Amino acid sequence: MRVVIAEDAAMMREGLVRLLTDRGFEVCAAVADADALRSAITAHVPDVAIIDIRMPPTYTDEGLRAAIDIRRDHPDVGVLLFSQYVETRYATRLLADRPTGVGYLLKDRVADVADFVDALTRVASGGTALDPEVVGHLMRAGRDTVGVASLTPREREVLALMAEGRSNAGIAAALVITSGVVEKHVANIFAKLGLPSSDSDNRRVLAVLRHVGGGG
Amino acid sequence: MTSDNGPMTALRAPFTTLALRRAVFCVLGVVSAAAILSVPAIVPALGVGILWATGVMSSEPAPTVAPAFLVLFPLTIALLVVLAAPIGRAMGAVHRALAARLLDVRVDAPPPRPSKRISAVVSDGPGWRAVGYGLLKVPLAIPEGYGAFCYVFGLANLSYPVWWPLFRNHPPGTRLGPVWALTPFGTIGTRTFAGTFLIAAAGLAMLLVAPWLMRAGTTLDVAAMRQLLGPRRLAQRVRELQVTRARAIDDAAAMMRRLERDLHDGAQIRLATLAMNLGMATEKLGADGPPPDLAQARELVALAHRGAKDALADLRDLVRGIHPPVLDNGLGDALATLATSSAIPVGVSVELPDRPAPAIETIAYFCASELLANAAKHSRATRIGLGVVRSGERLMLTVEDDGVGGANPDGPGLSGLARRIAVVDGRMRVRSPTGGPTRVQIELPTQV
Repeated sequence: MRVVIAEDAAMMREGLVRLLTDRGFEVCAAVADADALRSAITAHVPDVAIIDIRMPPTYTDEGLRAAIDIRRDHPDVGVLLFSQYVETRYATRLLADRPTGVGYLLKDRVADVADFVDALTRVASGGTALDPEVVGHLMRAGRDTVGVASLTPREREVLALMAEGRSNAGIAAALVITSGVVEKHVANIFAKLGLPSSDSDNRRVLAVLRHVGGGG
Repeated sequence: MTSDNGPMTALRAPFTTLALRRAVFCVLGVVSAAAILSVPAIVPALGVGILWATGVMSSEPAPTVAPAFLVLFPLTIALLVVLAAPIGRAMGAVHRALAARLLDVRVDAPPPRPSKRISAVVSDGPGWRAVGYGLLKVPLAIPEGYGAFCYVFGLANLSYPVWWPLFRNHPPGTRLGPVWALTPFGTIGTRTFAGTFLIAAAGLAMLLVAPWLMRAGTTLDVAAMRQLLGPRRLAQRVRELQVTRARAIDDAAAMMRRLERDLHDGAQIRLATLAMNLGMATEKLGADGPPPDLAQARELVALAHRGAKDALADLRDLVRGIHPPVLDNGLGDALATLATSSAIPVGVSVELPDRPAPAIETIAYFCASELLANAAKHSRATRIGLGVVRSGERLMLTVEDDGVGGANPDGPGLSGLARRIAVVDGRMRVRSPTGGPTRVQIELPTQV
């Protein structure tokens, strides 16, 4: 799997290169600003790009703007935004057009290498990976929405994991339950929220986020 | 002094030291009013004097002399406009000193001129207000002068009967000219010893009236001083405080932004990398059994270890930048510590009888820190002197070096410093001629 990394902090960048190479990814380019990122994407057309939101020269949202451009110009390139803080508005903007091949994670998440690599793989193959922190914000924002209040605590856990972009199998592993139980929870959640059930993980992320108010 | 009322107080009033000091103040007031009136006439008078002394006035016809006055007149106006404010300030300082010395009335000095540029001199508000005081001094001098006149001549008139017998011991029948005495209602004369008692009575009356006249004059004068020679009026003070408050808020916001940036790019990223390295090391060590890749795990742990130490160093620097912990022991310790980290040798002398407010200590510390950094960067000095002394209710911080000078008080560094200390009504004086040496003095209140 081919990756381009855009991260302005050298030690983080080198660490990521090392981690991904070690895990069998092919790092085509590791750059430090948005312009270099754009040319690297054009040159390599990778499966996925890891993009730091705050980069030179303005240290505001260069990464986010580059990510939006990349999603427009190269729809097949997965984009994983990488930041030290979560901003639900950014997630909303990224998901606005289509929730495929997109992720938004806190940098802290690299500490759990397996989860991080899992999320990156998901994004590279057209899935979604939202940080639990982002999902938590969205869920709190949507807690007064019709239906959410009637969910059981377990169903809420499943909903949060769904919103992060995990598959039924991933949810089953995270909660240490069987896939069958997960499917039952998912069906209940969709029924209570009044959403049409959906097989595609992506569509279901979007449906859930729209419902709790984040994906509009 | 008792709180006697009635006639005793009135009788005693002329003979207190206060009355004497008031009389001196009033006399000086008349002198300065006369001086003020003569100021605008100095240049034309000089011109006339020169023309007269060189004999041009009498020998040359009018067309030659007139142009000279055409030049002198605008010159006088221009000089008055440029010099009025500084002269006003100087005169104001003299009057504040006189009031403090003679009347025991303390009027605070207005803030100093912001710069020596001609525009600042001409538009110097406190200077022009002092000029206003000078103009007001002329009518104020009337009651003052009248009071002083009554006082001085009252005393003189009172003494007539004493010296009459000393000088008028002529044989009886000698016809003498009258002796004259001055009173506010004209001169009175007498040829007899008995008549001197009339003069003495007039003197006594004058002496009794004098303190009240002088008091009225000086009271008005002091009121004028407080209005015109003191710090700005309330409205201006409010504006000043609004400006400094806005700056303080901006500074605080900028400080928070800087802090966020430093944490974001420093400790936070180091810790994230450290967590990543430890995460990788954990994988290399495996969940149980013999580690699959011990060598790599060791390397990653070593990397994480180094990262942790770097993060600690980052945080330490950051913490010191927010508030140096040594400052809790007082400014002396903090500045001594600061001096040891300077590349140029710094002699520190801190003489404070007690500790100023913590906020003032912090400001003084950061001023010293910035000035030392400036000196290290620009001065090419071989020695820096750093002194802190207490002067009344103010704290004076002085940083001087033997470097090349040329520090610009309007440059971003020093003007930023001046802006920050203005928040607590601090002041900065910079003397840094080209070629050096440089001396920067910062004056801060000891309490906020």
